[in-house]
Amino acid sequence: MTLTPDELEEIRGHAEADYPSECCGVILVRGGGERVLVRLRNVQDALHRRDPVKHPRDSSTAYAVDGQEWWRQVCKREDEGYRIAVIYHSHIDVGAYFSATDTQNALLGGEQPGYPDATWVVVSVVKGRAGAAAAFRWNAAERSFLPVDLPVFRA
Amino acid sequence: MGVQVYIPTPFRRATNNRDRVEARPGDVGALLDELESTFGGLRGLIRNETGEVHHHVNIYVNSEAIEALQGLKTPVRDGDEVTIIPALAGGA
Repeated sequence: MTLTPDELEEIRGHAEADYPSECCGVILVRGGGERVLVRLRNVQDALHRRDPVKHPRDSSTAYAVDGQEWWRQVCKREDEGYRIAVIYHSHIDVGAYFSATDTQNALLGGEQPGYPDATWVVVSVVKGRAGAAAAFRWNAAERSFLPVDLPVFRA
Repeated sequence: MGVQVYIPTPFRRATNNRDRVEARPGDVGALLDELESTFGGLRGLIRNETGEVHHHVNIYVNSEAIEALQGLKTPVRDGDEVTIIPALAGGA
């Protein structure tokens, strides 16, 4: 299981609302069915303005979450027993693929992802309209993120 | 008393699943040296091969980002809390 229909619609809505910036967020789950979708702010433009050498991309081709927001919205919930089930973001006017940048950042400087059990969902937004969505998971044997079906289930 | 260090979920595989560890007072750079010495699996996760903190990793001393303090030279004292947060990032 990956997403409920409502969650997929909310992700698509988030992606359209933030166009022409990439959006990002997570779905946290706990126990037998508690699920929380958290929209996160993309602060890539602020990083780019502050230091365009260190952060050459703006929010049309990249996303970054502020560390304090990640702490408040994600780490504190993890300490309450939630775990990250889905990590999503959008791509602007290109396809729903898992890019080299996505892979590099998911690995967090290591040889395996920081969240090896999470499903990564990418939504393509073209001319402001959410289109294709795709899902990817870490494949330990291949040492790569590979596409998987994006099953939508009814909770 | 020491310095309390919050270890984020993705890095806990390197700390025997401990979410908080204690380090000696000094500065942030020395604290990271100590952590990497004690928990070898942390090498490369927080800093790159030249010793710079990865772009996506945020370090806070008592909730204040070290970029707004003295970076890796930021002093840490007994009772301080250091939080290490690898925030989400990516892009097309």
